Amino acid sequence: MYQFLFRKFLRVITILLGVTLIMFLLMHLVPGNPWDNFSNSPRALLNLSTDKLTQDRLIHSFGLDLPLWRQFTRYVIGDFEEDGTFFCGAVCGNLGPSIQQTGRSVNNILFTPPEGKTFKDSRFGYSIRLVLFGTLLAVGVGIPLGILSVTRPKATSTKISVGLAALISIPNFVLGLLAIIVLASGLKIIKVLPDWNYPSSWIVPAMVLAVMPMASIARVTHASLLNIMNEDYIRTARAKGLTQTRVMLVHVLRNAAAPIITFLGPTLMEMFTGLLIVENLYSFPGFGKEYWGAVISLDYPMILGLTLIYATGILLVNVLIDILCEILDPRLRSLKPQGAQR
Amino acid sequence: MIFFPWRRALRSTTIWFSLTVMLSLGLIAGLAPSIAPHDPYEGRPSQTRLPPMWVQGISRPGVPEYPLGTDRFGRDILSRLIYGTRTAFFLALTAVPLTALLGTAIGLIAGHVGGRLDAWLMLFTDMVNSLPGIMFVVIIVLIFRNMLTPTWLHGLFTLIVGFAATSWVSLARLIRINVLQIRSKAFMEAAVALGSSPRRVMTHHLLPNVLHVILIWVINNIPAVILLEALLGYIGVGVTNAVEGGEFTVVSWGGMFFSGRSMLSANPLMLIIPSLCILLISMSFILLGDFLNSVTRQENGTE
Repeated sequence: MYQFLFRKFLRVITILLGVTLIMFLLMHLVPGNPWDNFSNSPRALLNLSTDKLTQDRLIHSFGLDLPLWRQFTRYVIGDFEEDGTFFCGAVCGNLGPSIQQTGRSVNNILFTPPEGKTFKDSRFGYSIRLVLFGTLLAVGVGIPLGILSVTRPKATSTKISVGLAALISIPNFVLGLLAIIVLASGLKIIKVLPDWNYPSSWIVPAMVLAVMPMASIARVTHASLLNIMNEDYIRTARAKGLTQTRVMLVHVLRNAAAPIITFLGPTLMEMFTGLLIVENLYSFPGFGKEYWGAVISLDYPMILGLTLIYATGILLVNVLIDILCEILDPRLRSLKPQGAQR
Repeated sequence: MIFFPWRRALRSTTIWFSLTVMLSLGLIAGLAPSIAPHDPYEGRPSQTRLPPMWVQGISRPGVPEYPLGTDRFGRDILSRLIYGTRTAFFLALTAVPLTALLGTAIGLIAGHVGGRLDAWLMLFTDMVNSLPGIMFVVIIVLIFRNMLTPTWLHGLFTLIVGFAATSWVSLARLIRINVLQIRSKAFMEAAVALGSSPRRVMTHHLLPNVLHVILIWVINNIPAVILLEALLGYIGVGVTNAVEGGEFTVVSWGGMFFSGRSMLSANPLMLIIPSLCILLISMSFILLGDFLNSVTRQENGTE
């Protein structure tokens, strides 16, 4: 078990390094620099481009004039300041200074709560809470729906699956905008700019966020349940005279659990994409709001920081899912010698 | 094909629904120049922000000449919708097969060759998988936007590359797992024993056995690329805004979202109509994919 965890840990570290490298190279391929006058920067639109001298000084102060490999090691491991002191990079959890929000570090923007508040009120805390809320909704509604669509008579189950297909096909920004139009300006149930301290104002964003993952979880549940129900041992269980409930709960669900849980990883990724949209729509104070600005205006440390946070989250969830699957499905344990190479 | 339940397919309403939607949208896309009532690019300054024709009794009623109204440049929404169908079909027919090719190649090689190459390929797959997909796509769009010469293809091309770069991962994994399962079968042993080269084994023995996986993946991912286009269009880095105000813009549903966002209160239909189109087309593909899935499941069950 410890060896298994250690292998996983090494793999996670390698992947994190690779992810940083890929993102680093890609974002340096984007032409222009953060202060340059290029077409998609908001500064260019406002005619605020910086003059050459200031630009050079800024580029130097952020270390962007170093060769690429030096910049990469500077970000990951750390570097010496002008005066010879050493500062530690991403390995110590220092995500660097933000370029666009002058004087603040990425850590400060993402993780530091406002004055007199606790950690859960930082941008990161807000986003995590919204994702948790959304995941609970998606899993709590999706799995029962999937089970329902298998156990009900055929007509009902067709209706459910068509409905789920429809829910998957609506872009979530449309859903969010419609919710604003109907609920906020039409029926005046929610406020357009809600007070996020009340849990009730979280319901609509969380629902918009949860709809698509919910539908895909329900569909996956449906598919894997059907797969299991074709197996011989289910027929045997039925033939033994077990009740429908017992067959479903003990024989089918237990075996279908592993594929469903495996699918939660990709679902969480879907959730993140949704998060960026939903936070923008509802001007939710999470870290998704930083994101678009950071990409468009080439805020290098911010892009890397968000990528790292995202990748860490996904990898952690995937490791957790792997462990859970091994616990739930003993068959996977016996496959271990072959599976170890994966 | 070996076995296909034509009779079940013909009796199912969902199949009829999806085929009708696909065919009619395909026809609309093909005949776009002859059925669109107006030029989708040409704005008329006197006719801006018209409501749809059934909205009457306000200071500026809708006119039958513009059935769904006009946007803020006075361009006919119906014509833009019709031309947008072309973009959606073009993307679906280029981006998804290209991605499928990439994913199949990587999955087949990783699964068949195995060993160290497999380990490295899977590590790379995991890396790409852990990148935030949408951020990846946006950055790729930003890279190519300034690198290519502006033609009408250029916005579409960046989108295709972005989609291909992020989406091959899921297919490669699927194919690899299937190949690992097939590799233990007797016919594979026979093929290797008879002296087939690895290339022949891959193309003649493995590929035909994973074709159904690829087909279902392709059908399930066509909605994904259309949704991606819509999302990027909504954000404003999609195919429409490829060149600021240039003549090489492409009419797309995503672009309609972008311009619809600014006139949400005046004409919310600008948002609802393209999303209805997306809903229809992606629903039809998803339902078709579900049906094919149930067919393969049945086939596996009877084996």
